[in-house]
This record gives sequence, C-alpha cells and structure tokens, in this order.
Amino acid sequence: MDTLFTLATLAAAIRLAIPVAVAALGELVSERAGVLNLGLEGTMLFGALAGYLATLSSGTPWIGLGGGLVAGAACGAVLALLMVVVRADQIVTGLAFTLFAVSATTYLFEQSYTIGQAPPRIPSLSMAPLVVIVLVVLAGVWFLLTRTTAGLVLSATGEAPEAVDALGYRIPQVRTLATVTGSALAGLAGAMLVCGPLGLFVQNVTAGRGWVALALVVFARWRPGRAVAGALLFGLCDAAQLRLQGTATAIPYEVFLALPYVVTLLALMVRARRSGTPAALAVPFVRGGT
Amino acid sequence: MLARILRGPDSRIGLVTVPVAAVLAALVVGGVLMAVEGVAPLSAYGEVVLGVFGRTRGLIDTAVIATPLILLGLGIAVAYRARVFTIGAEGQYIAGALAGTAWVTLGPPLPGLLLLVSGLVVAVLTGAAWAGITAWMLARFGASVVITSLLLNYVAAAGLAWAVRVGIRDPGSFTPQSRPVGDAALPDIPGTTIHLGFFFALLAVPALAAVLRRTRFGFRADVLGANPEVLAVNEARPAWTRFAVLALAGSFAGLAGFVEVAGTTERMTPAFATGYGFTAIIVALLGRLRPLGVLVAALLLAGLTVGFDEAERVFIIPSTTVGVIQALIVVFFVAGDALSRRPGRRGRH
Repeated sequence: MDTLFTLATLAAAIRLAIPVAVAALGELVSERAGVLNLGLEGTMLFGALAGYLATLSSGTPWIGLGGGLVAGAACGAVLALLMVVVRADQIVTGLAFTLFAVSATTYLFEQSYTIGQAPPRIPSLSMAPLVVIVLVVLAGVWFLLTRTTAGLVLSATGEAPEAVDALGYRIPQVRTLATVTGSALAGLAGAMLVCGPLGLFVQNVTAGRGWVALALVVFARWRPGRAVAGALLFGLCDAAQLRLQGTATAIPYEVFLALPYVVTLLALMVRARRSGTPAALAVPFVRGGT
Repeated sequence: MLARILRGPDSRIGLVTVPVAAVLAALVVGGVLMAVEGVAPLSAYGEVVLGVFGRTRGLIDTAVIATPLILLGLGIAVAYRARVFTIGAEGQYIAGALAGTAWVTLGPPLPGLLLLVSGLVVAVLTGAAWAGITAWMLARFGASVVITSLLLNYVAAAGLAWAVRVGIRDPGSFTPQSRPVGDAALPDIPGTTIHLGFFFALLAVPALAAVLRRTRFGFRADVLGANPEVLAVNEARPAWTRFAVLALAGSFAGLAGFVEVAGTTERMTPAFATGYGFTAIIVALLGRLRPLGVLVAALLLAGLTVGFDEAERVFIIPSTTVGVIQALIVVFFVAGDALSRRPGRRGRH
C-alpha cells in the first residue's frame, strides 16, 4: 500500500477527477435554479461523442472541447424544453434522456467508423490545460453565484420562485438558461474525458461519472468548491482501483472497481441529511400555484 | 392532480393514445434512420414482424425475453406509483441472481424441487435486501433514491465480476463462469425454450393488480405517490411505505434474476448483466405503471428485440437500431404525456 500514494497516483487522481468536477459544477448551476437534471450522464455521453467526432474531423482536441460544449448546450435545450417549458416530470425526463443517450451515442459512434476496423484514436490534450479549465469553470461558477445579480436571481429561483416571479423575472427563462449552461458544462466534461489522455470514445465511456457528479452536488451541499474537492476524492479512489488492478494483492481488484461508488454512497450518508437543498428543487413552477 | 402524473389522465383514450403514439413515432424515426442507411424501412419492418409472428421460434424467443422484463417492470411500476424513483433494478437483478446461484451451486445438496424453491427464496430476499440499502439510506440519511440505487448497480456489477472470477466460479472452467444450476433449472415447455418463469411472470400480473387494487399496501403506495402528507396524517408512516415499495421492487428484481439463470442461461457469466433493469424502466413507464400495461409493454419491447434480431440477418442494419428505437419510445412518451396534460388555457388566458 505504501507505493499507492505516489505522485503518479495523485496525477492519475486529478486526471480522473477532472470530468467529474466539471459535470458536478454544471449540475450545481441548474440545481441552484431548481432544475434537477438527471440527464447529466446522458449529456456527458453526448458531449464525449461530440468531442471525439469533432476532434477526429478537425484534428484539434480544442475544437473537440468546443464540440462537447455545443452538444451539451443542445442537450440542455432539449431537456429544458421538456422539463421547464412543457413541465414534464424532471426525474422521469432525466432518466429517459440518459437511457436515450446510451443507445443513441452507441448508434452514432458505430456509424462513425467502418465496422470491422478499430475506431481511430484522436490526438489528446495534456493534463495542464484541462486543470486550468477546471479552475476557470470553478472560478466562473463561484463568481456567478456569489458576486453577480444574475447568480442571485438564479439561486433565488431555486429557493423561492414566487418571489423572483413577483420581482418581474421570468422563471422559465432563468431555469432554461441555467439548464442550458449546466448542460453545456456537462457536455464539456464529457469531451474532456475523451479529448484528455484517453483519446478514444468507447460505448458508455462515462461509466456512471454523471451519476457520481450528481451525488457530489448533494455531498457538496450545492457549494462549488466542495464539489471540486469531492470530485478529487472520487478521483483518488478511481486511481487506486486502476493502480491495484494489475498488481497481485490479497484484495481482489473488483473491490477497488466498486470503491468509488461505495465511497460516494458513504459520502452521501455523511452529508445528505444536512441542509442546503434548494427549496424548490425539482418542483415545476406554475404561476399562481397548481 | 399529482396522482395523475405518470399514471395518465383519467380518460381511457389519453391513457393509451400517448404510449401508442410514442411507439409509432419512434418506429417512424427508426424507419428514417434505416432509410438513411439505405435499407427500405417498410421491408425491414415487414421482416421484423415476420421475425416474430412468421415462425414459432419468434414467439418463443419473445416470451423468453419478456419474462425478466415483465417481472422487473412490475416491481419498478409499484415503486414509481409511490413516486419512489429507483433505478436500481439492474443491481437487484444481479444481486438476486448471484445469491440464488451461489445457494444452488454451493449450498447444501437438496432434492430438485426444494433446491429450486429455496434458490428462488434466496434470490427474492437478496433482491429485497439490496433494494433495502436504498430504502435505509433514504430513511436514515435522506439520500436520494435515484442516486443511491444507481450507485448500487455498479457495486453489484463489481460483485458479479468477482463472483464469476473467484467466488462461485466453476473450477473446471477455463473462462470465468459459475457452475450450472443443475437440478434447480426451471422446466421448459417440451419442445420450446419457454420455461416456467414465463408463467410466474404471467401469474404475477393479476396477482400484483389485485394487491394494488384491494390491499391497504396498494392503496398506501398510491397515496404516497399522490401526497405523502395525507399518508402521514392518516398515521401510516411514509417511510415504512417507501421501504415496502422498494423491498417489493427488489423482490421482483431478485426473482427476475434467478428466473433468468434457472430458466435461460443456467449459469452465470460476466455477460449476465444485459441491461434488462434499464429496459424495464421503459416497460414500466410505457405500461402506465399498471400491471397489465407492463405485460403489454414487455411483450412489445421483447418482440421488437427479437424481430430486429431476425431483420438484421436479412438487411444490413446496425445492431443498435432497436436500442435507439426503444429509447426514442420513452422520450416521445415522456414528452407526449407532458404535452397532453399541459394546462392549456388555465395559465395565461
């Protein structure tokens, strides 16, 4: 175990934490406005595929990241249309969207290369710029939420939509904007996963990281800094799992396969009950009440 | 008003129209996809229908695939009626199957029928216990059911990987897999691969319908879905009802898992987790969270899978097409349902 906590493991942990952190920050934005976006995992998948395809066709992973951002925003627009405008049940909509994304991205991916050939690898970004992006997103979300009027309106929409409505802001617009912004970040997160050191899209490449990000938002009590810290914790578990998989130890590697999810569950036990949940989370807004 | 969310409007027409329209719309989009691929959609769909109805084998396969979907869908339906949105059916299905298989392959040597029945009981209890973790985390820590149940799926998947590699591995096998279930195998209808589990599933439909309609539990589940405070006012603790619906969903999933091992695969391999637990969410929603609806939806989705499998042999269609169509069905269903229920004139005019 003493070889576990080396600089290489730490680097791997940061690498694995990056997409989770960005997705969690995105989800945090939409949840602060009262939209529980369970389509996060699906949005990440679309972002990952878009990032892969955009890099493949342009040869530049930076364009891939842009592709992920745009694809995520598009997913957010669809989700907002369903959840905010049509007011479909947020939980069912998010689930349905993620189920759809798993099939649709696999289908589209298979269309993108000749069957029988290995899918081409894409040039990948090194870690440093990705870390910078995480820090920029973190600073941006923090600044938005704590230092701007827009952020104040956003958070108030998740807490007391009636009051915000009375002030003359349009709740559906605020929530749509928050969902699109949050989803764009989730799409970016997916693209960062693929355009980073991985350099490849595979079926279900996100492997539940969107769900982990959702859990992290609860764990972080809707605070941006804590969400990133939580993502790092997840990354550490994931890195340990990868590191120990090859080595013959008394502990089967499957234990470490399950570890990030178990740790997330444990984290939920510690944090879930405490306050911080936006009061109007997942509650559709109807002017004048239902 | 909340009582009608998900379960559909009161009118019989709206109840069926939206799911049917969603299926048709998804098939149309699927047809467009195939046309883009250079396959004539109508002939492809003709082959899909022929693949199911044109031969006995198609109907048999449909029944076999529908079996776990019906059982899983019934459990999910009850939970969703209570607005307990579990997505942990996949994990409960794996956990139940694993425990049942471990019992019948490593447990005491029991005579055939006793082995089968005890295996079923172990699987059901394990499924319920696995779902119980979610229920406990909700009751004790207020942790979201959606998230905890989903995270537990990954834990169960890791458990499956370990169990077939080490825990319940067949020592005589080169690849990781369990021993065959042997005497615990469910009998088939002679000459077919339809096993007794299909009849369990068929029997479970009216049984669950009766429970939902006539028992206090069924009533409480629906009240919980409509308004938990009403339940609390009537001195029935919402937490207990949530626990009960989750345990019931887990039981059905565990049963589905064991029935699949004992009836179809006869041993467990790393490929046991095929995503039935997720398809069953579509089944439950499309079936309007009603037992009979679940039966119809499960047969429909199973039939689509079988039919497309056959059509793929004739046409060059990507094997993931049917998955896209199934996923489109649920997206269109959710959108259509919300649109049809939208308070049109009340809001602004």
